[in-house]
Amino acid sequence: MRLGTRRRMRLGDAKMRYFDRLHPLSALVYFLMIILIAMITMHPVITAVCYLTAVIFCGMLIGFGKLLSSLAYSIPLMILIALTNPIFVHKGETILFFLNDNPVTAEAILYGANASMMLMAVFYWCRNYSTIMTSDKFIYLFGRVIPKLSLVLSLTLAFIPKLKRRYKEIDEAQKGLGIYAGKNFTDRILGKFRVLSILLTDSLENALETADSMKARGYGLKGRASYAIYRFTLSDLAFLIATAVFGVGTLTFIALGAADFGFYPSITPINLSIQSCVMYCALAILGFVSVFCEIKENLIWRYWKSKT
Amino acid sequence: MKKDLFAICIVIFILALVFSGVKIQSVDEYYLVHIDDITPESQTVFLTIRCDTILDNWQQLDPALRYEKYVPSDGVILKRHEYVLRDGDTVYDILDRAIRHNKIQMECAYSVNYASVYVKGINHLYEFSCGELSGWMYTVNGIFPNYGCSKYVLRDGDEIVWSYTCDLGRDVGCDWGMQK
Amino acid sequence: MALLEIQNLSFTYKGADEAALKNINLSIESGDFVLICGESGCGKTTLFRLLKKQFRPNGELEGSIKFNGVPISELDERASVTEIGYVMQDPDNQTVTDKVWHEIAFGLESLGENSDTIRRKVAEICGFFGIGEWYHKRTSELSGGQKQILALASIMVMDPSVLLLDEPTAQLDPIAASEFLSSLRKINEELGVTVIIAEHRLEEVFSMATKAVLMDKAKIFFSDTPKRAGQRSLSLYEHKIYKGLPSSLRLFHALGGEGDAPLTVKEGKKFISENYRDEIKRIEQVPIDFSDKNKAIEINEGYFRYERELPDVLSGLDLTVYENEFLCILGANGAGKTTLLKVLSGVKRLYRGKYRLWGKKIREYSGVSLYRNNIACLPQNPKNLFVKETVYSDLLEVAKLLPYNKEERAAAVEEVCLKLGIKELCNKHPYDLSGGERQKAAMAKILLVKPEILLLDEPTKGLDAYSKSEIAAILKALQAEGKTIVTVTHDIEFAAEYSDRCAMFFDGKIVSIADKVEFFATNGYYTTAASRMTRPMFENAVTVEAAEELCRLNGKRKDND
Repeated sequence: MRLGTRRRMRLGDAKMRYFDRLHPLSALVYFLMIILIAMITMHPVITAVCYLTAVIFCGMLIGFGKLLSSLAYSIPLMILIALTNPIFVHKGETILFFLNDNPVTAEAILYGANASMMLMAVFYWCRNYSTIMTSDKFIYLFGRVIPKLSLVLSLTLAFIPKLKRRYKEIDEAQKGLGIYAGKNFTDRILGKFRVLSILLTDSLENALETADSMKARGYGLKGRASYAIYRFTLSDLAFLIATAVFGVGTLTFIALGAADFGFYPSITPINLSIQSCVMYCALAILGFVSVFCEIKENLIWRYWKSKT
Repeated sequence: MKKDLFAICIVIFILALVFSGVKIQSVDEYYLVHIDDITPESQTVFLTIRCDTILDNWQQLDPALRYEKYVPSDGVILKRHEYVLRDGDTVYDILDRAIRHNKIQMECAYSVNYASVYVKGINHLYEFSCGELSGWMYTVNGIFPNYGCSKYVLRDGDEIVWSYTCDLGRDVGCDWGMQK
Repeated sequence: MALLEIQNLSFTYKGADEAALKNINLSIESGDFVLICGESGCGKTTLFRLLKKQFRPNGELEGSIKFNGVPISELDERASVTEIGYVMQDPDNQTVTDKVWHEIAFGLESLGENSDTIRRKVAEICGFFGIGEWYHKRTSELSGGQKQILALASIMVMDPSVLLLDEPTAQLDPIAASEFLSSLRKINEELGVTVIIAEHRLEEVFSMATKAVLMDKAKIFFSDTPKRAGQRSLSLYEHKIYKGLPSSLRLFHALGGEGDAPLTVKEGKKFISENYRDEIKRIEQVPIDFSDKNKAIEINEGYFRYERELPDVLSGLDLTVYENEFLCILGANGAGKTTLLKVLSGVKRLYRGKYRLWGKKIREYSGVSLYRNNIACLPQNPKNLFVKETVYSDLLEVAKLLPYNKEERAAAVEEVCLKLGIKELCNKHPYDLSGGERQKAAMAKILLVKPEILLLDEPTKGLDAYSKSEIAAILKALQAEGKTIVTVTHDIEFAAEYSDRCAMFFDGKIVSIADKVEFFATNGYYTTAASRMTRPMFENAVTVEAAEELCRLNGKRKDND
């Protein structure tokens, strides 16, 4: 009953998403690229672009309602981190006031703000990554390189939910018999220990059967193939190339020093040279390409629906 | 999960506040330090703060600090000046008073290992700001004491020099390294 | 030439004294649907494992097994994988990977097929089994029935010519089981795949088979078309699997029918109406009156849900269980019956409503006192209970929970073992027991804490007919001692035969509760095969025994003689 409802809820989530259809390789390169750029520098423009695109894209993936409730936590957290920094760091010219004989400076606060924004940008990009790059996509990608590892991963991912469920079952069975059902700490620890010991025996036993099931289906025969449901299309290639061009471009400019920026002792003015502006543009295109793709997908869907 | 993270951050924030105590002063309040007037009876010491070694190692200096306001062209941050010595004053006390009086930025940290205050930076020039081996050192009457500045109790007429080194003291005449 | 030819097959496990199979002769033609039945431990599984090269157990083998004229042991590895498919009992342990599509492709991957071939074959199989809808899901999100269909599909994708199924529906609820069996019938009829299946629940599968093999103590004692299994000469009564046979067949046999036996409800109905009169409509009996008994359990307007966002599992539940009664709670899968047991046993608490145990609020029982001499719950999977290496040490360990000294403890264990007849199991590892034995050992464990109220979750799941009747006998004996018994079950026949009252659980509440005869006699669909078979001729023949009695009372039709 309970699982059933959850299952239905998950089905309800099945939105039409461009990134779901994107080949895992393109998606992986895209995510790695943008997370790398977000982490590599403390330049406020870069951080801001990464943060903004991360949040908007997240909203497109999980829905803006859910995004809002997540922001309700993450924004106060950002402010907190920004305010914590000047307690530990006293560098900076613009002193606002002294806290216990130590200066609280505007630079330190801004540094904290930028660092927390970067943290959140990385957090939201990682979240987007895990929304899109489900385990099977990951396994598919790495299965090509190391087929054994990918199978092991797949087995493990299948095994973990089983373990969890069995743990709950055993725990409840033991409680229903009133074994170590007391409320004190020792009883609880001993009870958990019992449950784990049963779980261990049981899963060893079950693993034997799983191994049989694998053998029955020819596991161990020579010349094992690796099948995947993904196909690399022209549009995947186009996306990959665009990602590479804009991503590597941005990284090159960063390496050339277009994104050099310092907070202490005073904040460097934002660089508006041609080189830097080109870099900002490249990054903006890289960041927003995901958002545009999702918007395009939505528009196509609306258009298609209005026609039928 | 999110809630926990949030709660942990708040706790850290509050702990940080509590441990560092809460005493808030405005900038003017902080710099408003009474320096005793020098009278014929008062004991005095001399203090100089200089960073001329940086001028010889300009390439190693953090680009953000390559300005006159951080590194004066003559290498002197605080000219030699006479300060009244109060009973039991240490090197640190004099430095602190002088710095506040002249509204120079300084950051110190208490080091548990040495049971003393350790000077991290003066006038935005921090340790490691000019290469891996850079930092602040002091001499009293030309000698480098091998212990913390808040443990060194001064006597009348002492001559204190705080100097910035770019080479673990070798460039300012400290020979600890040689002895070993 | 037969597809599978088993000649004079005997097999003894390494280190075992007695043979697991003795002198088996069996010939299976291509396209056969062979049903193998017998109590657990009769050698079915051994026979199955000998048929699949990869599973061949260690031991001494005599005689021969030939597949298309080639001995199994000389079969090419690849051919053995693809030609002979094997589906096991537990749907959970058979799933290997985390995604449905990967699970189906697994076999083909092993065989090293290229991607296009795999894609095509997987697509075909999904179409055949209707898997499309959950093709992209995680295997852990599937229901038991879906998992078992998936297991079948991931074998079928390799195009086997023989399918071996070892109790494939034992862990499934009746609806999922019959869905599974109909998939199986489809495979047999539309693809001509030979099916060999071992089963305990025969009501449905018996009529599907083209050949029924009854095994007993490592030997085959009947092997013919299912219709001939009702013959009087077989004297099935004494046989341990008798209770598991379809109701119509049992009635036919009990009434001494000759020739082809009826196998389905439809045929059974025809048999009775053609042969017997229907002047006496019912057996009069007075239902047990509980109104003057103590109330053991009383729930008023109970509500329960697992999490705030999830819907109610129990909503407005009213339930009264009287002292010393045997109550069966029936209901569809996923209706929340197990949850109800969790609430009854105090593992979960109602968020609204009153739950009184012996007239006292459940909250007033502090910690352990709820479980000492009071209430105990036997979980669906008895494996969840065992901790120690042997049954005996496990039982001793539970006995420690009660304030006994060493001798009393040993005596208590002794007593329980005698009562349940599990003396000879004491030195075995709990995991080495058969389903029925394990259930008995678990029951012993429960009884050691001396509960007054026993809660049982599907005690007959996956058991053969004989073990079921043993469990039932134990429960009846406990009831005679004064215990109160509440079971949750899918097993209608079990409820009709042994309980006092039955309750129907639906939509979070008990929708009907009545004396078992009245309950099943008034239910139109959710009732025993015997009841469906005898209506409208008889009104309250809910068991085969009652139907037999009514048939005898009425006597044979004159015009037929």
